[in-house]
Amino acid sequence: MNAKKVLSLKSVSKNFGSKQVLNGVNLDVYEGQIIGYIGPNGAGKSTTVKLMLGLIDDYSGHIEVFGENIINGDDFYKKRIGYVPETAELYENLTAFEYLSFTGEIYGLSSKEAEERAFGLMKEFGLGGVFHQRISSYSKGMKQKVLIIASLLHDPDLLFFDEPLSGLDANSVIVIKEILAKLAEQGKTIFYSSHIMEVVEKISNRIVLLVDGQVVADGTFEELRRQNQEGSLEDIFNQLTGFTEHEEIANRFVNLVHGGSGNE
Amino acid sequence: MNDFASLRVLDRFKSVFNKLNIDYDVMRKILQLKLTMDSRRMPAIFSGSNIKKEGNQFLKSLWMYGLFGILFLVPFLFLGNEFLFSLTIMFSSLFIILMTSMVSDFSAVLLDIRDKNILHPKPISGKTLNAAKITHIIIYMVLLTGSFVITPLIVSVFKFGIIFTLLFLIEIILISSLAIVLTAFVYLFILRFFSGEMLKDVINYVQIFLAIGMAISYQLVGRVFQIVNIDITYTFAWWHMLLPPFWFAAPFELILNKDFSIHIIILSLLAVLAPILAIAIYIHLMPTFERNLSKLQSDTNRTKKRRRILQGIWARILCRTKEERTFYKFASLMLKEERELKLKIFPLLGFAIIFPFIFLFNTLSTGSFEEVKTGNSFMVIYFSLIMIPAVVQMLEYSGNYKGQWIFYAAPIKNKSIVYSATLKASIMNYFIPILTMLSVIFLWIFSFRIFLDLVVVLLAAIVLTLISYGIFNKGKFPFVSSHEHTQTNSFFKVFGGMFAVGIMAAVHAMILNNPFGLPVYAVLLIISIFIGWKLMFSKR
Repeated sequence: MNAKKVLSLKSVSKNFGSKQVLNGVNLDVYEGQIIGYIGPNGAGKSTTVKLMLGLIDDYSGHIEVFGENIINGDDFYKKRIGYVPETAELYENLTAFEYLSFTGEIYGLSSKEAEERAFGLMKEFGLGGVFHQRISSYSKGMKQKVLIIASLLHDPDLLFFDEPLSGLDANSVIVIKEILAKLAEQGKTIFYSSHIMEVVEKISNRIVLLVDGQVVADGTFEELRRQNQEGSLEDIFNQLTGFTEHEEIANRFVNLVHGGSGNE
Repeated sequence: MNDFASLRVLDRFKSVFNKLNIDYDVMRKILQLKLTMDSRRMPAIFSGSNIKKEGNQFLKSLWMYGLFGILFLVPFLFLGNEFLFSLTIMFSSLFIILMTSMVSDFSAVLLDIRDKNILHPKPISGKTLNAAKITHIIIYMVLLTGSFVITPLIVSVFKFGIIFTLLFLIEIILISSLAIVLTAFVYLFILRFFSGEMLKDVINYVQIFLAIGMAISYQLVGRVFQIVNIDITYTFAWWHMLLPPFWFAAPFELILNKDFSIHIIILSLLAVLAPILAIAIYIHLMPTFERNLSKLQSDTNRTKKRRRILQGIWARILCRTKEERTFYKFASLMLKEERELKLKIFPLLGFAIIFPFIFLFNTLSTGSFEEVKTGNSFMVIYFSLIMIPAVVQMLEYSGNYKGQWIFYAAPIKNKSIVYSATLKASIMNYFIPILTMLSVIFLWIFSFRIFLDLVVVLLAAIVLTLISYGIFNKGKFPFVSSHEHTQTNSFFKVFGGMFAVGIMAAVHAMILNNPFGLPVYAVLLIISIFIGWKLMFSKR
């Protein structure tokens, strides 16, 4: 691969108190890749993203973004990053216009640019009519769209999308998928984490699986399938996370619903 | 979940509910759930304080209403036997307090849209659901009104006898129902013609008003008793027909003073008929109300961009970098639009306006107006500066504190400018408008000679903002903490703030008699503001 290295993690570990969240993660990401970053709940996906963004610090190991160690550089590298956080939290008492021009401006746009671009993007998502309404009156999907727009306003080179599709309807999901593919074509790098395996399988050109703070699989979907002889990403996921008792759990669950004891 | 005393009382009426075809056991469960949720909500009457959210705050706030009853109802019982005068004042006071507390604390009950999503899909009959909602409101009302009127009721037995008290009791029930229905009508009106966001704003302002009223009431206690001795005779005018307090005062005149004049009879009839009619209309409009409730989460009436030109101009003048200007605009919006923040800060601003006048009136009562005019009592304006440390401390909080990730994810070159911009925004949006308002009134009272003094006060306010920030705000960014985790070390902070204000006032007082003192002091303050600001917000 001749492409430029955008992200580099070398034996990154992080613990919250006595709890080890990341346990020696090694990862190199190159320009134009769409990385599907998957793993069970609590595997450390969001933590990885937050570390790279500098939202949390105090880790061991080495993190480079755009070829610079984030610990000694200033925060300037963040200017080229777009981030959609896992939880749709924003200052909801503001209108979309106010919030988006604020975020656009802190990423260096002029207020006019920010407003025009934000309005254009909102309109494309069918939200032009609510541009000047408070975000608190939005539905979950609308808030998610605002977050996605906020992350793209400043035309970033690297995108961190943490569960970007939550709350979106099927049509919007198709649009977002298409947008991600187009952005990657233009050389943008997308670091994408999700629990919806079908989507990850379709849009990622590289899949990284994290279990208990360690990378246990890394490669294209085809590579993973060859290694594991399983059909879908869901099956591969189940196999690699060592989860095989879904049927027993389901049986016990249904029994309990029926008023049984849970044991067969 | 607790077993509430109110529910145990309700159990005695079980057979009544069952006879009305209401599933009492289900209704009781709903009520138990609702009362449990209520106990975790903070009543607005306490909103200015730092009480932790534990136990039933509503029940704990009831003693406040009891105190209100003594302060605002009992004195009017001693205004003599001219009931149409004395009781009209009393019922006005009763009505205002009932309505405001209804809007501020009850809105959560009246406007609960979660019912629709959570309870309606369950197999519960509509009748039972409505009964639960109405009973819930009644429990609240009985507790609130009960603790409010208990003392006046007891006093009235001794003052006017048992007939008066019985009449009083019946009327209170009528008034409470009228108050509930009127509140609902106000909501209905706003929801019908405006948006849910507008209604939330209205509720927010009523809560703020209540919190301010609460604090002033302490100051007014003495003065309320002073008017008790005034002797006024009542004369009827047609527009009295439009004012509910008159209606409710009339029956006393009719029955106890045996006044059978036509206007008394009409007023008395209104007292009985109006609440009944209102309830009838309310029941009739209930479905419309429920339907409009779904608009609560809408903001439909704002489709146009709000021009904030002035804000942009100030941002350009006050902030040197583009980054700081962005945060200045952001902070100004937060200070204007964040309801939880306003609920905490606006009462403080209210006190800031009122306190100087309370102290000014105290000086007035000892000396003549002419003496005050030429004296130095304009120095009481320093009392309004006491709010500054508290407000600066509040800037850390926001109801949307979870949105803070943006501060960390964004490429902010100089992180300290976020606070610098926020302080500038609070000076421009809060402190300067209030001080300007006070200054205009003070200039009118004390003449133009105190102009330079007022400028010094303004500069002192800015210095104080800076000092307060230096002492209290340890956090990196504003609007990032939850209100629920407010630390209760307010005593130290209030004391520290008063101490700082005291020093400022003392310095000012010392140089009052020196002709060159004031200009020199003003220049010194300006220089220290510039240097202080630079030092405080230099790149960290």
